[in-house]
Amino acid sequence: MNIRELLSMDSIFLPSNATTREEAIQQMAEGMHAAGAVTDTSAFVQAVTAREQQSSTGIGFGVAIPHGKSAGVARAVLAFSRFEQPLEWESLDDQPAVMAFMIGVPEANTGNEHLQILVALSRKLIHDEFRAELLNAGSKQDIIDILSRHIG
Amino acid sequence: MKKLLAVTACPTGIAHTYMAAESLAKAARERDIEIKVETRGAVGVENGLTAQEIAEAHAIIVAADTDVDEERFAGKPVVRVPVAQGIKIPGELITRALNLEASNGTAPARAEEVIGGGKQQNMFYKHLMNGVSNMLPLVIAGGLIIAFSFLFAFTKGGVDQVEGSFGAALSTIGGASMGLMVIILSGFISFSIAGKPGLAPGLVGGVLAKDMGAGFIGGIIAGFIAGYVAHWLIKNIKMPKNFEGLKPILIVPVLSVLIIGLLMVYVIGEPIQWILAQLTAWLTNMGAGNAVLLGAILGAMMALDMGGPFNKTAYTFAVGLLGASIFTPMAAVMAAGMTPPLGIWLATLIAKNRFTKEERQAGKVASVLGLSFITEGAIPFGAADPIRIIPSFMVGSAVAGGLSMLFGCGLHAPHGGIFVLLIPNAIDNLGYYVLSIAIGTIVTALMVLLLKRKATA
Repeated sequence: MNIRELLSMDSIFLPSNATTREEAIQQMAEGMHAAGAVTDTSAFVQAVTAREQQSSTGIGFGVAIPHGKSAGVARAVLAFSRFEQPLEWESLDDQPAVMAFMIGVPEANTGNEHLQILVALSRKLIHDEFRAELLNAGSKQDIIDILSRHIG
Repeated sequence: MKKLLAVTACPTGIAHTYMAAESLAKAARERDIEIKVETRGAVGVENGLTAQEIAEAHAIIVAADTDVDEERFAGKPVVRVPVAQGIKIPGELITRALNLEASNGTAPARAEEVIGGGKQQNMFYKHLMNGVSNMLPLVIAGGLIIAFSFLFAFTKGGVDQVEGSFGAALSTIGGASMGLMVIILSGFISFSIAGKPGLAPGLVGGVLAKDMGAGFIGGIIAGFIAGYVAHWLIKNIKMPKNFEGLKPILIVPVLSVLIIGLLMVYVIGEPIQWILAQLTAWLTNMGAGNAVLLGAILGAMMALDMGGPFNKTAYTFAVGLLGASIFTPMAAVMAAGMTPPLGIWLATLIAKNRFTKEERQAGKVASVLGLSFITEGAIPFGAADPIRIIPSFMVGSAVAGGLSMLFGCGLHAPHGGIFVLLIPNAIDNLGYYVLSIAIGTIVTALMVLLLKRKATA
């Protein structure tokens, strides 16, 4: 399995016109639905929102990583948005989110191969160079290429 | 170079756990600090910390919003923050961890100094010291209160407390504190090994050790067995998912207490009863023979386990002879019971640098307990380093007991320490008796210093 199987053109928003955190989550969930990975969009959005309320997933450096585990998710899936206008995300460093990766994981445990990929992504996001590449990417294909190159 | 460890964990275990781990590793690299980060996420525990690494680490950073099995770090300096802080301020966390000067008084730091080397700070001593340091306040409080109670008895010209008097109350209070000693020793050794699940079997094992007269050595054995039994049960019992919740509240407590209990009663208890019977028979035969040798043997027994089966046998033997108006073994036994705490006190005075500050304080208290014939005052020292300290005590006590017999000293009361010396005619050959105790004390101290030096070299 590689990151291309998690991410599809339908779940990349470049740029996203969302103006709030809720809108961004809803938009990416619908993208995942279009890609066939999410079967019950509202259930999944609910899971993601619940996780946000527990504590914000705005990890700082302009990045947010909303995520949720839900029966409404058929297979592990990833969405990416780069926002036209940075969004308030109650981030750790109080800076608005410039981009977001949203992660969907099915309720039933289906092995951890996809988890390893998400783990690798999480680790990469800490590094400035990686984030800079994502910020400068010109197309959806660029995003997929950058992720493949760094994560596999 | 200082080595750091870290553990990261979050409820979902997909993002924050790994971001915090990466952040800490990155910040450490930038500062040229060695760090190992254990992650506890959705894919399980990765890059797990070993006991060895924990023992060697300078400090541990815990950046987690969930349980990370922190009992492993008992006694180590820990920087504890929510997982988000691991992502946000990794550099500051590393600085804070480096600045935690093994914030002293912590168990492993102390164990390190006790064994003198500083290099072989192994888990065995860590667990042992966790038991000893929790036991110490009970010994000090109980011992001093009992010693104080003697004042009330002896002002009335006797050696026994008048029932219902203030002295008797003090004696009861002190006895209660001393009575918890073996139990707490065992319980906290076990706690150190297995965490919270270790406490119950450790305490029960300690009560059984105490009740069967197995003394502090029995308590140490019970604590280690209980701890490893609990640890094994936690790791190896697999429950169906629906019943997983029963494991910590029902299965592990019942099984661990039952196992340590049965072991104590049938495997440890029976041999102890047998040894006690054999020893008593042997001493009775010896009684007619060489008096000095008998005194030395009684003395060594007093110091061997300080309140355990050997000590109790020697003491009971001597008290039994009082009824037959034979007073010399009683004198030998009391002299030998006074020298371990007195000797260790002297050792802490002579060689200050070989003891921790805490031990030097405990040494001062030990002097009072020694004068009061409360041998247990030396147990914290003996328990902390049995291999080197117990033989030292035995040699000093054997000398004291042998000399007391040689000089024909007699003691007409079964306890009392220095207070009984003040009662007219309670002791035959008083001057020589004091001399025997003094020589025994000096020999004990010299032995301790000799063996401890060898250990450090």
